[in-house]
Amino acid sequence: MAAPLVKATRGWSDLALSVPSAILRLPGLTQVRWSRYGPEYRDPQIEKEYYRKPLAELTEEEKFERELRKTQRIKAAPAMKTSSVFEDPLISKFTNMMMKGGNKVLARSLMTQTLEAVKRKQFKKYHAASSEERATIERNPYTIFHQALKNCEPVIGLVPILKGGHFYQVPAPLANRRRRFLAMKWMITECRENKHRRTLMPEKLSHELLQAFHNQGPVVKRKHDMHKMAEANRALAHYRWW
Amino acid sequence: MATPSLRGRLARLGNPRKPILKPNKPLILANRVGERRRERGEATCITEMSVMMACWKQNEFRDEACRKEIQDFFDCASKAEEARKMRSIQGESGSLPPKKLNMLLQRFPNKPHVS
Repeated sequence: MAAPLVKATRGWSDLALSVPSAILRLPGLTQVRWSRYGPEYRDPQIEKEYYRKPLAELTEEEKFERELRKTQRIKAAPAMKTSSVFEDPLISKFTNMMMKGGNKVLARSLMTQTLEAVKRKQFKKYHAASSEERATIERNPYTIFHQALKNCEPVIGLVPILKGGHFYQVPAPLANRRRRFLAMKWMITECRENKHRRTLMPEKLSHELLQAFHNQGPVVKRKHDMHKMAEANRALAHYRWW
Repeated sequence: MATPSLRGRLARLGNPRKPILKPNKPLILANRVGERRRERGEATCITEMSVMMACWKQNEFRDEACRKEIQDFFDCASKAEEARKMRSIQGESGSLPPKKLNMLLQRFPNKPHVS
């Protein structure tokens, strides 16, 4: 989004104002979701690597963009986005999906307890194992989390297509973000519904994550069911038009 | 080629003949154009998908046995996605797309009155 603005203001480098972009205002329609920021506000740059680059290494474009950012108005960074080394976008997204009713404190505490439970289980296994097996046991909860969710991602999805008055489930490739979303959604749904009344979420989630890490468990089974349905309906693939 | 004329076609007091045309809406140009008929696309990546499914059938749906086929399928899907984006960004080669035409007509509508 910054690129067209850069092209527009290159000719007027002495002007501090940015060119206001035309907003589509349709008569009779008011926007329901809006923000207090006007169109001239830029998104904040949070990554430290951007600022650590030495000045000599920057290209013309980047130098111009740096100068531009000094005069442009910038939105405030959201509260959960930090430049800390401990921040993980996947963990943040998963925490937000677990959150209910805006209770971010509870969701975050559940997430940290889950990671701690995963770590404790793996350490217990590590101390009980012999020295040959110790090399194979993964103890970092973050790698376990990432690998487990990667193992849960479906490769192909089913899309309902209306043809001849009937809806057919047609196999279609999914975008990367859709696959990540499905993996997280299935994991959370599984941990919420199929557990004993008295087990807590961190306990159940850590158990499911470890099972998914080893390509076992109900979430991976659900992924395989999706693949099997797609394989069964592969004749309908020509119903797609994209 | 001249446009066909409208003289004596409608039912009016001054017109002695039977009406030739009986329009159900007033014959005034609307401030919008019709949508372009979308062209028939075909499904992409069918061969990669069938190869991957054959591999799955052989290896009981294990993903680690079919890494290469899955990677090919993903590459094909991303290429198809990019091609679709390029086509949509390029837009209509001849005239403006109907959405832009409608926007322009909304801003500069047809005058049904004289002044």
